[in-house]
Amino acid sequence: MTPPPNDTVAGMIRPVPMPPDSQTNRDLLAVMKGTSSGYWFLLALALFFLHLAAAIWIYQVYKGLGIAGYAHPVFWGVYIVTFVFWVGIAHAGTLISAILYLFRAKWRNAINRGAEAMTVFAVLTAAQFLGIHVGRMWKSYFILPYPNQRGLWVNFKSPLLWDTFAISTYATISILFLYVGLIPDIAIARDRATGWKKVLYMVLALGWMGSSGQWKAHNRSVLHLSGLATPLVLSVHSVVSWDFAVSLVPGWHTTIFAPYFVAGAIFSGFAMVLTLMIPIRRIYRLEAYITDYHFDNMSRFILLTSIICGYAYISEYFMSWYSGVEAEQTAFWLRAFGPYWISTWVMIIFNTVLPQLLWFKKMRVNVPFLFVLSICINIGMWFERYVIIISSLSREYNPSVWGEFIPSWPEMGILAGSFGFFCTFFLIFLKLFPIIAIAEMKEIAIHQKAHGAQGAR
Amino acid sequence: MARLVGIFELPAQAAAAVKQLRSRGYTDLETYAPAPFPEVEDAVDPKPSRVRLLTLIGGLVGVVSGYAMTIWMANNWKIMIGGKPFTSIPPFTIIAFEIMILFAGVLTVLGLFIFGGLPKFKLDPAYSPRFSAEDFGVVVRCREQDVAEIDALLRENDAMEVNLVES
Repeated sequence: MTPPPNDTVAGMIRPVPMPPDSQTNRDLLAVMKGTSSGYWFLLALALFFLHLAAAIWIYQVYKGLGIAGYAHPVFWGVYIVTFVFWVGIAHAGTLISAILYLFRAKWRNAINRGAEAMTVFAVLTAAQFLGIHVGRMWKSYFILPYPNQRGLWVNFKSPLLWDTFAISTYATISILFLYVGLIPDIAIARDRATGWKKVLYMVLALGWMGSSGQWKAHNRSVLHLSGLATPLVLSVHSVVSWDFAVSLVPGWHTTIFAPYFVAGAIFSGFAMVLTLMIPIRRIYRLEAYITDYHFDNMSRFILLTSIICGYAYISEYFMSWYSGVEAEQTAFWLRAFGPYWISTWVMIIFNTVLPQLLWFKKMRVNVPFLFVLSICINIGMWFERYVIIISSLSREYNPSVWGEFIPSWPEMGILAGSFGFFCTFFLIFLKLFPIIAIAEMKEIAIHQKAHGAQGAR
Repeated sequence: MARLVGIFELPAQAAAAVKQLRSRGYTDLETYAPAPFPEVEDAVDPKPSRVRLLTLIGGLVGVVSGYAMTIWMANNWKIMIGGKPFTSIPPFTIIAFEIMILFAGVLTVLGLFIFGGLPKFKLDPAYSPRFSAEDFGVVVRCREQDVAEIDALLRENDAMEVNLVES
């Protein structure tokens, strides 16, 4: 071929032809297309509970925290239980997206986006409870170290302040992590969208083209964010546990609280990932992307963390007996056989006994069983926090100030509303952004194409 | 000047083409890839990304400002709490740690923006939605008399097709 004359080069310019789109793109973008009546029903249900909780909260602001059953001696009720529950849920997302990334566990690619989105929305849900619990929400800025006319500063020796910094850092880093991971996928959606969605994706994709410099910076950023999120996630639930462990309340004052809470958080979070991803996989026909292999791996994590939780339960009882401290011994005796015995046994059976079935491979890949088990674990983990917080507070040192706590209807309404709040965000996310990380799935697909099947996983 | 886009199926092919182009002196080139493949990125520029510098700066600034803030505030209006020293390093370490992570994370994302050239307000005319499907693109800017040579070189490296685009 001879070099073309100068004037014809311009004439030869034509747009790059576009062959049919790749299978991965079509399958995974299909999740975002169209909304069935079932979807609208779920969204309406979630919005109903969200508004119900908002209405109850307004009533609570009007009447005071008394309607939440806050009375001597239990001033930390269902709101704090639910706060710890949602913070815990959040943790599996970071574990999957950051820790498994650092370990190069490629199977995480199929579930990491869903888990990261879950993290962000769970942290946002948890954050609501800080405000709901303190009562005068409009004064919640008091917890921030801002210059004020009184010249006073916050107390950095208080675990509640550590909590503020830990949770707000965690929320920020989770949102950044989710967004950084989303950028290439938003660009995929941008190239294929029309109408207002095209505008939205054009803005959010920031002009991403997947050039070598962009991927290089992106890889580096994800690596560093993973490296930062890993100690962060361990610190966040440790700090949440220190809210309790730093006090002198019998049943709270133990040094195993930090690892115990972190293991429990990952345990409940993995269960929530299963609760969310199993229906999504079924409804949107993603069986080719989320396979038995993924369920097997997630089940192994659940089994491991369940055993750690069981170990923590046993060592709590052992230490209270071995310590010889009467208040500790009484607290743990009353946990198992006192007025809150139902919660304790629900916690023990759902969190440590039922997951033992996962020793069997057949059970690890039995999806309906996993779905039921994941819901049991969610319930069990909520009760774990209920047991820790309520039973300890209602039975402190002096028997003359012992009391009973019964959850009140406003608390249960706001608990239901927290699920509405979470599901509203999650359902909207599902239709706007890819719930499976498309670029990361392609990385595996292209490796497979280049090196045969063994490059996968 | 002209610009050519070679479209490749596999990352190794694109990387080989880039390496050959660079060895022939065509250094004004860019690749577009659907997913990160270090062989392709390193063929264009083997230097590691400078994002790590910003992460380090963020972390250091964070940990210093975390300690500075807590120590200064605790001593600006002194309140005795439980007989503990005003400057209590163990609890302040928790705050300093969280702020370190926060600053390092924010600066990492800033690094992605700076070194990844984001946001870009106009897409390259050589970019095609094919590169957000499963194909790899190698874009070369060259003099018009070199078009034929580059065209042949890209095809030698198994380019599925080669297109001329606006420069």
